[in-house]
Amino acid sequence: MTLEVSNLVGGYSQVPVLKDVSFDVKDGELVGLIGLNGAGKSTTINHIIGLLTPFKGSVKINGITLDEDVKKYKQQIAYIPEAPIVYKELTLKEHLEMTMLAYNLDQDESWQRAHQLLKMFRLDNKLDWFPDNFSKGMRQKVMIVCAFLTNAKLFIIDEPFLGLDPLAVNDLLNLISDRKKQGASILMSTHVLDTAQRYCDRFVLLHDGTVRTEGTIEQLRQLFPEAGDSLNDIYLTLAREGEQS
Amino acid sequence: MNQLFKRRLVDHLKEMMKYLRLVFNDYFVLALLFVIGGLGYYYSNALKQLHTGLWWAPVVIIGILLVSLQLGRFATLVQAPDYVFLLPRESEMVNYLKRGFNYSLGLAWLIQVLIWFLLLPFIQVTTQASGVNLISLLAMLICLKTTWLNTDFARKYRIKSTWLLRDNRLLWRLIIPALLLINAVYFSYLVSLIVAVLITVDSLLRRPSWTTHSIDWKTMIDDENSRMHTVYQFFNLFTDVPAISGSVKRRRYLDGLLRRTKLIPKNTYLYLYSHGIARDNEMSGLYVRLLVIGTLFLVFIQGEALPIALCLLFVYLIGFQMIPFYFHFDDNAFVHIYPVTHQNQMKSFQRVLLVMLGSVAVVFGIAVIAINYNNPITIIGVVVGELIEIWAFIYIYLPRRIARSQRNRA
Repeated sequence: MTLEVSNLVGGYSQVPVLKDVSFDVKDGELVGLIGLNGAGKSTTINHIIGLLTPFKGSVKINGITLDEDVKKYKQQIAYIPEAPIVYKELTLKEHLEMTMLAYNLDQDESWQRAHQLLKMFRLDNKLDWFPDNFSKGMRQKVMIVCAFLTNAKLFIIDEPFLGLDPLAVNDLLNLISDRKKQGASILMSTHVLDTAQRYCDRFVLLHDGTVRTEGTIEQLRQLFPEAGDSLNDIYLTLAREGEQS
Repeated sequence: MNQLFKRRLVDHLKEMMKYLRLVFNDYFVLALLFVIGGLGYYYSNALKQLHTGLWWAPVVIIGILLVSLQLGRFATLVQAPDYVFLLPRESEMVNYLKRGFNYSLGLAWLIQVLIWFLLLPFIQVTTQASGVNLISLLAMLICLKTTWLNTDFARKYRIKSTWLLRDNRLLWRLIIPALLLINAVYFSYLVSLIVAVLITVDSLLRRPSWTTHSIDWKTMIDDENSRMHTVYQFFNLFTDVPAISGSVKRRRYLDGLLRRTKLIPKNTYLYLYSHGIARDNEMSGLYVRLLVIGTLFLVFIQGEALPIALCLLFVYLIGFQMIPFYFHFDDNAFVHIYPVTHQNQMKSFQRVLLVMLGSVAVVFGIAVIAINYNNPITIIGVVVGELIEIWAFIYIYLPRRIARSQRNRA
C-alpha cells in the first residue's frame, strides 16, 4: 500500500494551512511526520483520511484518489486520532464490535485477536465499561486496539504516545513493527523524537505548512552536518532557523 | 448499516421521550392547555372579522408557509466518532443516510400537514380557495419539503457546487418555494403543484449521481451537532440538558453593572453568579430570548386575563430556567476551599435572581401598560401578580427546590 501526497494545498477554511506539501509512504515503511504545534501535521492527516478536501494537489492511495473510488480508498485505512474520540453510549465491547462490523471482520478470529490486544493493554477486565469515562491514556489504548484489530494496509497514527504509559508505548511500537513486517505502510506524527528516531524508516519535517526536508536519519545528518547527530538536535536546529527566517 | 441506523434511531427516540416527559409535566400541560385554548379562541374570533379580498392575507399565507417549510431538518444521527470507526464503510453510508432521510421526511411531512391544517380556515375565509386547490397546496408543500431535505442530503457529499446543483440550498429551499407559493396563491395552485412535482422527481432521480462522491464528514457531523443543539436548546427551555455545555462571551458592555458588586467576602458568590450568568451564553441567551418572546406576546395581545396569565407564566419560566445555575460552580474546586457558607451562596443567588426577574417584571409591566392603558384591572393584576410571584418564587419556592435537588444529588 503506497500513500502519495503531491503538491497538497489545503486547510480548514479559505486560508490554506498547507502550502504545497509532497511526500510518500511506501510498502512496509514507517514514516514519521515531525513538526511544531501548528506546523500542519494534523491538517495533513485530515486530508489523507478525507476529512478535508484539498484546494489543490492530490492524495493517492495505490494510485487512487478519494474522488475516483471512495470504497477502494477508504477500505484500506485505519486511523488513530490525536485526541481519542469514542462513542459516549457504547461500552468497550461494543466499540470492538463496531470496528468488526465496519471493517467486515470475521467475528471469531477478531475476538481472538481482540483478547490478545486487550490483554496486552490491560483492558481485558473492562469490556463492559464505558470508554467515555476512561482516562486519556486508556481511551487512547481503546483507539489503538480498535485500529490494530483491522487488517488495514495503511495506518495513519496521529501523535500516539501522549498519555500512554511506558509499557503501552513499547507494546504499540511492537505492534507497529509487526504490521510493518507484514507489509503495511504507516504514517505517524509525533513529538517524541528519540522514539521516532529509533523506529521510523524515514522522516518528513513539516514547518509552517511546507515540507522543510525529508529523508532517513543518515540523509538528514548528511544534509545538516553541523546540526548534531540525533533527530532531536537536527530538528531543533531547523526549527530555530525557521523561526528566525 | 440498516441495523446501525435502527439502533441509533431507537436510542434517539428514547432520549427524546425522556425529555418530552420532562417538558410535558403536569404544570406545563395545564399552562399549555390554557394558552392553546386562549389562542384558539382568539383565532376563531379573529376569523369572524376577516373577509375575502384583504390585500395582506395572501402575504401572510405565503410568509407562514415559507417559514414552515424551513422546519424539520435532515436527521442523520451521526456521531463524532463515526468518521474514525465507519471510515472503511463510507461507500455504504448511503444506505444508512437513506434511512435517516426517510425518517426525517416522515417528521417533516407531519409538520407540513399540521401547519396546513391550522392555516386552512384562514385561507378559506380570505381567499375562498376551492377544495381541490387546498389539497394541491398541501401536495405542493410536501413536494417542496422533500426537495428541501434532498438538498440537505446532497450537502453531506462532496460535490462541486454550481448554482443549479441540487445542493444549492438558497435556491431550492427558499427562492423556488417562494416563487411557487406566490404563483399558487395569486395565480394557479395547479401549475405550482405540477412544477413542484417535476422539481421533486428530478431532485430525487439525481441522487445517485452524487452519492458516489465521498462524504463530507466534517459538514455532516457539524450539521448534526447543530441540529441536536437546536433540539437541546428547546428542551433546555424547560429542563436541565446535560449535553448543552456553555460557551462564554466577554460582554464588556455589562461590566458597569457587574462592577457594582463590592469586593468583600460575603459577596463571593454574588460575584461568581453575576459574572457567570452574564457571560454564560446558555443562561443569558435563554434569559434574553424568553424576555423578548414574552414582551412580543404582550405587545400583540390585548384582553383582561390573558396578559396577566402570560406575564406570570413567563416570569415563572425565566426564573425556573435559572435554577440549575445555582450548582454551576459545584464542580470547581475553588469554591469548596473559599471560607464562605452556603447561606451566603443562597442569599447571593436570590439577589441575582431578584435583579433579573425584577427587570423582567418592569419590562413586562411597561409593555402591558402601554397596550392596555385603558384597562386598570389588567394593569393592577399584572403589577400585584408579578410582585407576589417573584417574592414567592425567590424566597419560598427556590430554597425548597434547591434543597430537594441537593438531596437528589447527594
